Amino acid sequence: MDAVEKANAATQRKWAKDAKIGEGTYAVVYKGREVSTGRQVAIKKIKVGQFKDGLDMSAIREVKYLRELKHQNVIELLDVFSSKTNLNLVLEFLDTDLELVIKDRSLVFLPADIKAWIAMTFRGLEFCHRNWILHRDLKPNNLLISANGQLKLADFGLARDFADPGYKMTCQVITRWYRPPELLFGCRYYSTAVDIWSVGCIFAELMLRTPYLPGESDLDQLKTTFRALGTPTEEEWPGHSKLPDFISVGQFPRTPLRDLFTAATADCLNLLNKCLIYDPKKRISAKDALNHPYFFALPYPSHPSKLPKPAKKVSPLEEMDGNVDHSGPGPAVRANPPNKLKRKLSTAEGGADPRSIARKLDFTQQSPG
Amino acid sequence: MATASENPSTPSAKIPLYEGSTQFRHWRFSPEQLAETRSIMNANAVKAIRDAFEADSAGSSSEVLFLSADEENLLVKLYASKVSQLCGHFRFPEEVEATAVTYLKRFYLKNTVMDYHPKNVMLTALFIATKTTNHPISLEAYANHIPKTLPSDVLDLEFLVAQSLGFDFAIWHAHRALWGMWLDIQNLPDLRMDELRQAYEIALKHVRASRLTDAELIYTPSQIALACFSLASPSLASAWSRSQFSSAPPSPPSPAPSPESALLEILEPIKSMILNHGVLPDVEAVREVDRRLRLCKNPEKVVGSSAYKRKLDEKERKAAEKRTRKAERIRKAIEDGDPFGTALKEQELDDDDDDDEEE
Repeated sequence: MDAVEKANAATQRKWAKDAKIGEGTYAVVYKGREVSTGRQVAIKKIKVGQFKDGLDMSAIREVKYLRELKHQNVIELLDVFSSKTNLNLVLEFLDTDLELVIKDRSLVFLPADIKAWIAMTFRGLEFCHRNWILHRDLKPNNLLISANGQLKLADFGLARDFADPGYKMTCQVITRWYRPPELLFGCRYYSTAVDIWSVGCIFAELMLRTPYLPGESDLDQLKTTFRALGTPTEEEWPGHSKLPDFISVGQFPRTPLRDLFTAATADCLNLLNKCLIYDPKKRISAKDALNHPYFFALPYPSHPSKLPKPAKKVSPLEEMDGNVDHSGPGPAVRANPPNKLKRKLSTAEGGADPRSIARKLDFTQQSPG
Repeated sequence: MATASENPSTPSAKIPLYEGSTQFRHWRFSPEQLAETRSIMNANAVKAIRDAFEADSAGSSSEVLFLSADEENLLVKLYASKVSQLCGHFRFPEEVEATAVTYLKRFYLKNTVMDYHPKNVMLTALFIATKTTNHPISLEAYANHIPKTLPSDVLDLEFLVAQSLGFDFAIWHAHRALWGMWLDIQNLPDLRMDELRQAYEIALKHVRASRLTDAELIYTPSQIALACFSLASPSLASAWSRSQFSSAPPSPPSPAPSPESALLEILEPIKSMILNHGVLPDVEAVREVDRRLRLCKNPEKVVGSSAYKRKLDEKERKAAEKRTRKAERIRKAIEDGDPFGTALKEQELDDDDDDDEEE
């Protein structure tokens, strides 16, 4: 056996796979552990054999970026090894995700809790942006939460380095409800502001306990956005009507955020507002957001260990498939599966997730983004 | 969480970005370490291949003249230069080319050309580089444009190359650092743009030449870029260096050399490395190495040879053993009344990776 194969086999022996906890078209996720310590991990096995072009782009992106990023608010990639025709990513094991937390109606959020989650999101994101990486798929179910309450950015399958000015990127990224209007208008030159918009939507969702801008199609997403925040004018967002896919979807007046977010403080709404500014150039950066007065005003962010978490429920695998319905806002949300990966992968499989479309386009494009 | 700003206990917050990279952490050597890494790798390879020859027929290795570490490196260098031609053909951007060359060099710090010929590895390294740099092309289109190459030739080595790279796909390049300097330097006063542009063009040629050397395995991309700028125009390079240090707070006068002159001193070995080694290897010398390679390549890697068959048989025998062990475990588990075999020992669980969950 070659030295490299031996090293790979040695890596493989360090980790043991236990129960399967999720399965999708491209990957199977196992609960696993480090043999020497018993530490819990998640092992994501990507079936490479079925890709005619070898290692697929989302696996490559995930490995490429997570190998470089070490931060307490970014999921840690502990190891990578291959087995036969599969690629295995050993990731730190995380109990739950923000979507499950939001949907668990038995949990009550304090303003300090929301502040803590958003602070951790911005810290992880600021680290990505500082490393010249765009996440391009922020949403509550990609924000995983560890046993001690730390929030971590996960799923870097759509991430990329900043492009140079003048270099086109694809606009088919970010799950629709969290996608900024510039991408919906087909903008091919963009930057960190796209992720900030997503954080704004997540911020609002934490307060509302239901998705803030749940558009039913790309066109409806624009309408939903403008209905909530007003149709942008040429003054507030110069040049937007010249974007490739610009379309007029009607004139909606701007309603003050205060009308919807009745309990929020002025600082809170000020930051939210800055995340949801139409003109990407004026939208706040992750770094500036971290220095926003909101985070320094009372109440201070909750300590991660004090944050609300869904009660652990062990449900059989079949039941997990049921929780793909994003539309039901009411208290009728089902008992949540203990792990997000299962649910997420089965969502992608169904094709209902707009993200799966993005991945397909992204992979086959000749001059991709 | 008392404040929302950086937690000082986070190590990632304090170190410079580059020092957090896998390139800095895993792929940085002193010239001595690099030579040692190669010579150990070469010695182990020669021993393994000698054993393979002997297993085939005793005494057969005594006549074989194996390649030395330097000879291996010469061959790799030739194929590093071919990456450039191939990228020109496909019109891949410079980032793809530079990344593929880095992959090729890193691969041969872990593998010997006597096992895997750089001609094949180069094709796979380039294909992976198109993906990791976000310029994917379909495998079919890729293989179709390369003579005598099947898609499977490219794909067969993909895992091996990725493993050899330790899955460290992100590369920091000297040509990017040079681009940054070129943007920076335009802010300096009293510059003649045409002179500057000419210096940049020459420096870029030196950066490209540096890809044929070990520079990137020893120095940082910005050191290489500055050395290249200095080769093109020493005065512009030191003007840029001065501007970098002048923005830092002035340090008290000390007998130690200024940081700027210390920096410019580091550049000297880089410059001579680029000038002396950043040239195509002598074709005749490489041809001779390649001729000898045909006689000393690992028989276990030559499809159809008896050593190859023996290795394959051995693999199959081990796999069969594993299947038997596993069937035995399942049978035992079922007998114990628990089809999931809860009492499995760790060692046994580890080695079965896929066969227990066939789709």
